Amino acid sequence: MIATVVSHYPKIGDHPGEQKLRQAIAKFEMGEIDYQALVDVEREVTKQAIREMEEAGIELVTDGQIRWQDPVTYICSKLNGFEINGLVRWFDSNTYFRQPVAVGDVAWVEPILVEDYIYARSVATVDVKPVVTGPYTLGVLSIDRYYNDLDKLVLALAAALNAELKELCKQKPPIIQIDEPGIAFNPSVRYPRDARLFLQALELLTKDIDCDLSLYIYHGSASDILQTEQLPVKILGLDMVHGASNWQLLENWPDGLGLGLGIVDARNVKMENVEHLATTIKQAKELIRSDEVHVSPSCGLEFLPKDVALSKLRLLAESVREARE
Amino acid sequence: MTRQVEFPLPTTSVGSFPKPDYLISARNRYARGQISKSELDELSKRATAEWISFQESIGMDLLVDGEMYRGDMVAYFAENLEGMTLSGLIRSYGNRYYKKPIAIGPIRRTKPITVEWWSYAQSLTDRPVKGMLTGPYTMCDWSFDDYYGNRRDFVLALAEVIAREARDLEAAGAEYIQIDEPAVSTRLDELDLVIEAMGIVTSGLKAHTITHMCYGRFEEVYPKILELPVDQIDLEMANSGLDLLEKFKEYPFTKYIGFGVIDVHSHRIETVEEVKARIKTALKYIDTDKIFVDPDCGLKTRTVAEAKAKLQVMQIARNQVRDEILALKTS
Repeated sequence: MIATVVSHYPKIGDHPGEQKLRQAIAKFEMGEIDYQALVDVEREVTKQAIREMEEAGIELVTDGQIRWQDPVTYICSKLNGFEINGLVRWFDSNTYFRQPVAVGDVAWVEPILVEDYIYARSVATVDVKPVVTGPYTLGVLSIDRYYNDLDKLVLALAAALNAELKELCKQKPPIIQIDEPGIAFNPSVRYPRDARLFLQALELLTKDIDCDLSLYIYHGSASDILQTEQLPVKILGLDMVHGASNWQLLENWPDGLGLGLGIVDARNVKMENVEHLATTIKQAKELIRSDEVHVSPSCGLEFLPKDVALSKLRLLAESVREARE
Repeated sequence: MTRQVEFPLPTTSVGSFPKPDYLISARNRYARGQISKSELDELSKRATAEWISFQESIGMDLLVDGEMYRGDMVAYFAENLEGMTLSGLIRSYGNRYYKKPIAIGPIRRTKPITVEWWSYAQSLTDRPVKGMLTGPYTMCDWSFDDYYGNRRDFVLALAEVIAREARDLEAAGAEYIQIDEPAVSTRLDELDLVIEAMGIVTSGLKAHTITHMCYGRFEEVYPKILELPVDQIDLEMANSGLDLLEKFKEYPFTKYIGFGVIDVHSHRIETVEEVKARIKTALKYIDTDKIFVDPDCGLKTRTVAEAKAKLQVMQIARNQVRDEILALKTS
């Protein structure tokens, strides 16, 4: 059992000296600094984010997605076949992403995340996992002006990202995480939820990948649509806060599948109670009859102010320590 | 004194206008403690007076104060309510950050929040000025909750305080009160709660009540949204909406409508002909005497020059269509 995070980490904080990235992006946009100077700041902030996660007690970190504008643009803008359009609300949150538009054959061109991963690993003292937004989520959140067929778009994305996973695999990460909030049932859901297409894309995405993989589904429940025994991954991460019915999936958990247990609310500032979290962790562990549990916040941490995010990580790590005893 | 608009096709705005440069820089100076609240208020008043005068000068019918004294539409109310505070910075997109309200205790209104500003704006003109409030559902949806523990209790507590504000606006003389609910379209499963909360706000009001929504797929909530207890629903129609209009054939739109004819997200200034065509589309589906003409949403994200140009085009288009209607009536 370990304490981990899901995806992003706040890029800036409210204290003096915590706004470097915001200032650097503004200066870059005004033409006052060059691209390399911006990258230097992004790296410095990434290093700091990793250090903070580690100091909070997180045992498997991400790079905090400090360089990502949003979970969609960072990937799609580096694939062939996409233009990036206007702002759209990210699920039922009060944050926005730029919507990709498929305008040509979607194809992988060059590594998207490898350099970021190598850097993150070089500054971390604990394990680092690369995170890729999955083909189904990218597909349903895009406008399709080329294929005019969701199946074709999602499968083309899966094939393109398969190439990215292969490149990431060469770096021998402990695990590669695939994020698919798009298949969760969420109160704002307005896109197709198609289990058949989702699984088909996942098969294609993970084909010939010789590396451990995890699949994270958050912002809602997947219990109505997911057959856990069919998944070609080592760990399935679930949002137990905004998808309480996910507990049903734990009742018939397949042998050999690890659990990503998202139990700290990353969408609200209200602080959880350590005893209660520790009890919940133990219950989940008993249900799945396995020690392969990655305890985490319910989703990425950018929905919270940084000081709150950090407090929640400390609380999470403490709960894991207590559950181990 | 009653101030009522004249039909057909009175023009209005959704609420916010861009702040002039001197006010933006004054707000920054105020945030850094370099000028006093009263100095900032003077400049907010000056900007309000300029916008009132502009709306009058082009012939608009139902005016707004442009919200020169407000930052964010939710944070402004949160800052003025007991039981709410603001969080640290959170990224909304790109390099944009905001402070999100948090409920930290029982929410109470200790004094009127917008009445003084409304009275000031109304004192500058003989035309009616709308009272502008943010709805309880949107206030909840765009805030953290560290106190109530469930959305229903949080929304209904907010409804009580917004209701008091609406009553005070009416007592001060407001004959049009708008309660914005842009978050309505986020979670379709909570529409009943939105309707219940709006009922608390508008119950007993004699003023003409309006609600504005945006970024929605209204065809999914229509005709259910007609159950909202308001006199008028304001919809953005410049970008989309034709599917919705087709639905009006099956389920007639029974309220007054604020029909959005100006795209607020685009820098491009519409042509008079484009806007006339949009107004004429409205006339095909809705009673002439039920239509208010307005932009899709608040104009605060445009520059002052763009906002003025867009409003001017809207007014000219309205004037031409209205002349055609009146000529038909007299011929």
